[in-house]
Amino acid sequence: MLNILKTEWLKIKKYPAFWWVMGITALTYPGINFMFHRIFLQITSNENRAGKIVQALLGNPFALPEAWRTVAYFSSLFVFIPAIVVIMLITNEYTYKTNRQNIIDGWSRNDFMTGKFIDVLILSALITVLYALVALIIGLTNTTDATADKWHLAYYICLFALQSFSQLSLAFLVGFLVRKSFIALAIFSFYFIVLEPIAINILKYKFNSEVGHYFPLEISHRLLPRPAFFGKFDEKAYQATLAAVKPHIGYTLLLVALTWLFCFWLNKRRDL
Amino acid sequence: MNGVWLEVPPGSVFGILGPNGSGKTTLLSIILDVLKADVGNFLWFGEPSSHEQRKKIGSLLETPNFYHYLSAVNNLKITLSISGRGNMEMIDSVLEKVKLYERRNSRFSTYSLGMKQRLAIAAALLGDPKVLVLDEPTNGLDPVGIAEIRDLIIELSKKGHTIIMASHLLDEVEKVCTHVAILKKGTLLTTGDVNDVLVDDDLVEISADNLDALSNAINDYGHGIKITRDGNTLQLILPKGTAKLDDINNHCFSKGIVLNHLLFKKKRLEAKFFELTNN
Repeated sequence: MLNILKTEWLKIKKYPAFWWVMGITALTYPGINFMFHRIFLQITSNENRAGKIVQALLGNPFALPEAWRTVAYFSSLFVFIPAIVVIMLITNEYTYKTNRQNIIDGWSRNDFMTGKFIDVLILSALITVLYALVALIIGLTNTTDATADKWHLAYYICLFALQSFSQLSLAFLVGFLVRKSFIALAIFSFYFIVLEPIAINILKYKFNSEVGHYFPLEISHRLLPRPAFFGKFDEKAYQATLAAVKPHIGYTLLLVALTWLFCFWLNKRRDL
Repeated sequence: MNGVWLEVPPGSVFGILGPNGSGKTTLLSIILDVLKADVGNFLWFGEPSSHEQRKKIGSLLETPNFYHYLSAVNNLKITLSISGRGNMEMIDSVLEKVKLYERRNSRFSTYSLGMKQRLAIAAALLGDPKVLVLDEPTNGLDPVGIAEIRDLIIELSKKGHTIIMASHLLDEVEKVCTHVAILKKGTLLTTGDVNDVLVDDDLVEISADNLDALSNAINDYGHGIKITRDGNTLQLILPKGTAKLDDINNHCFSKGIVLNHLLFKKKRLEAKFFELTNN
């Protein structure tokens, strides 16, 4: 296992595109959260009546412990950026035919797939650390209530990690099946940004169906509910969203397991 | 592939020959676990194939497959990490051997086709494996490079390495191989010691000032001789082991013909190859 990890590191450490996209990710996650924070401050800093009403309504979603949930939600919208890295790491192997060379040089097919599993796992861990740092910094700088239980919602770190790993695993699956980087990126981005959200809303509002909750990305998307102030608009719906988190942990774990079992199974059987 | 059965003797240079699409690369891909055979099996070192055994084999299959953004050294570090063959010092030494040392820190994407092929050969040589599988090893190399690789294969063979080599360059196979297998459309046409496979007729080349008179004179020689004219020479094909040059010379002289050229030739692989593959 350590040898596989070392080999994957040798592949990645001098890959400029990897560091570029990681750099963009490292800027995007804090950037998007600080942007929303800035907008929130602008709205609530108004001394007029409207500002006071908004402040009373929203509370402070960027103060701890609520910041864990708020930052997780906003950060999760940008998982397609690290997904680029995941797709590049697998499609590169097919473009350069190095997947065959790895096997020829002495890896088993399971070793190769384990290497990719480790890549996705480490990438998920990295963006989780990034999210946790951003949430902690924003949260600490916004928390004025000294009695607040700052770590109350810290379990969102685990939920964020699970969601990231699940969605990056799906990005990997697309890259693994399609093999061509640009086509895989286009398919994943289109599905992530356009197709699945539209399909879910059509099913929900036109056919009154909740089957969209079990779509591949939505299964894990529901692990991270919107910030708590949304509950002020529709308390019942928000409580239902919170209640859905627990069962969706199970669904997500199942989906992740199925995704990787399928990848290992197919890689073992197909010609390289 | 269809019912191919081969045994590669240890220490041999085993050439796999065949026209395009005959299954040379498919055969090598199967034994390197790149392709899955529907039926059949193969053994490495007398044991069923496993990835641990592949680590002991230096292989070059079809095209040089490397990470384009990495240098030669960094690509070979990956080969080393996966196979466990060799060490860091050996990376420099194999790069020197294939004359890539000066460009060892350049990215693979900046290499010419010949340089990429040299790097693939360097990767196969890493750790001095006892068995090498080389698929068209001289692809993309210039004449000097081809000669160098040929010499390298002969040198490795002398040191006792076993080399399995697919090629469509008959001259290359003829010069370096001790054993040969000829494939056509996935079927094995023949296999064995290169001398047994190639030499089944004796070929003698003769010439004289008057070729017509020579042709008439040699017609009476007997021994099941077949005569063909090739430019300024006559090619005499005789049953294996029956060509006696002094007899032929005496026969011609007794008919008043003085030979100015008399040469015993092994039947060339090219002729045999065309004969076997009906090309």
